[in-house]
Amino acid sequence: MTIAQQTTVAAVRTLVVQHLNLALPEGRPAEDDDLWKLGMTSLSCLGLMLAIEDEFDIELAQDALKEATFQNLATISAAVDAVLN
Amino acid sequence: MSATIEKPDVRPAQADVLIVGNGALGLFLARELSAAGAGSVVVVGPADRSSGGSQAAGAMMGCFAEATSESLRTQPARTRFELGVAAHERWPAVLAALQEHAPGGRPLLTAPETHVVLNSIGAELDNVNLAAIINALTEYGKPWQECDPHDIPGFNPRTDTRALRAILLPEEGAVDARAVLTALQADLLASGVTLLDASVRTLLGDSDSVTGAELDDGHVIEAGKVVVAAGALSESVLKTLIPDLDLVPTFAGLGFAMIARRTGGEPFRSVVRTPNRGFACGLHVVPQADGTEYYGATNRLVDEVGSTTWMADVRFLAQYSMQQLDERAASHEVVRWLAGNRPVTLDGFPLIGWLPRAGLYLMSGTYRDGFHCAPLLAAHVANELQGKPGLIDPIFQPTRRPVATRTVEGSIQEYVEHNLAGWFETGAQAAPQLTTRQIADYYRNMATQFYERVGTDYALGPDILWYAQGSLVGGRRVARYLRRLQPAAAGTGAL
Repeated sequence: MTIAQQTTVAAVRTLVVQHLNLALPEGRPAEDDDLWKLGMTSLSCLGLMLAIEDEFDIELAQDALKEATFQNLATISAAVDAVLN
Repeated sequence: MSATIEKPDVRPAQADVLIVGNGALGLFLARELSAAGAGSVVVVGPADRSSGGSQAAGAMMGCFAEATSESLRTQPARTRFELGVAAHERWPAVLAALQEHAPGGRPLLTAPETHVVLNSIGAELDNVNLAAIINALTEYGKPWQECDPHDIPGFNPRTDTRALRAILLPEEGAVDARAVLTALQADLLASGVTLLDASVRTLLGDSDSVTGAELDDGHVIEAGKVVVAAGALSESVLKTLIPDLDLVPTFAGLGFAMIARRTGGEPFRSVVRTPNRGFACGLHVVPQADGTEYYGATNRLVDEVGSTTWMADVRFLAQYSMQQLDERAASHEVVRWLAGNRPVTLDGFPLIGWLPRAGLYLMSGTYRDGFHCAPLLAAHVANELQGKPGLIDPIFQPTRRPVATRTVEGSIQEYVEHNLAGWFETGAQAAPQLTTRQIADYYRNMATQFYERVGTDYALGPDILWYAQGSLVGGRRVARYLRRLQPAAAGTGAL
């Protein structure tokens, strides 16, 4: 994993913790933890998506706006990096 | 059939007015322009109108039967309502003129009147909207009367969903939408209007004006004036010329209906319907010109214009038609499935007016009654295109700020009422200890969270709110648009 990818994951993690209102140890959730199982709802996912676009100053592709993209930190970060790169 | 859209050997390369869209709005506009001698008119649209609203329309000639508690509550809503009232007065003359082109010579007016029934399976919203209908009829001095539900021809619901009350609206009937479209095309062809079976790939022009359009096969038509009347596709057509056009957003309200051939029992002779229900649509049956019956309709806001139908919608419509309208419908033969996209604006008001390119005009955003309003809107737009005074209120200008008719708290309450209505209409079951108030609390919480997360004080209608909180595509579109409206609020709230 490149430094840029690690940076994306870390920034996404911060937003996820904030928007899902999670109380987890440092470095959690893990990259492959299922966010839907951690209690993400359609509304918190909407708020998370908007915050990610604001944070990275990007617009995610419309076909990325689906449940699978927001499955975990890795899938979200991949979608973000796809736009950034 | 003599009135199919033709592909002339030599397609015109120029027109005085090019109309993009061959639904009711586009065709009625072409008719007005032709009658006014406004020069050469070309209408472009796919002959099958596969995803259009007009080809799937129930075409109830109703404005009072459509009334809800919102219709007359605010001045903008009243202006919108009165658009329907004024449009209604134009239909007798329209039908008299088009009847000679009617397929098979059958009457275009297929029902002279409407019965609105109040049954027990609906939710409180049914009572509220029936009261709104009666209040509107009374205020505008229109005729109506109470009637015995048992006396409504064809009306034969199951006992457990029988109507407890019914009213007759003797001046609101229905036309056969598909027969009217066919008659309109024949009328236009006889008048020298060119109808092209094609789609527009891109509008042509520069930063000052529109100059024409390129069709999907590359053919170019130059035109001094271009009217986009392409329903739920209008915005995407316009953005081929003006990518950053700041329109009130339009969404596709996908509806499903079916046409069935009766195999027994007494036929319906009037429109029989419930009041408008959760998220806009009441259940209704509309007699058609060929003796079949139209059963409609569902309404779902979707991310893309399309013609898909969900099993849940098929089940909804079939089951409730059998239960609430005529139990013999179970053995009717479905002869046609209809799916069409209504153009639904964020504020619920039409988009009618000039755009920021000389010669470019938009007529869309008519949601559920574009067909009914088409003759009036066409006359208005024809006037505007010819530099004459318009006929309708200017509040429908497409690049307006969205019309505000509610508070956020009112929006949340309306959202709760519509969801409760949807809950009970669809037969949803709850554990016995779960009260209606607790179900309402759930929906209230959803709506409140949406407003907190998006951080806006613009209050949405229940259908837009439902869509925006359930679809990431819709939610982003709504949120981004609302944030642009109030940049000072961007980034506030729970984000």
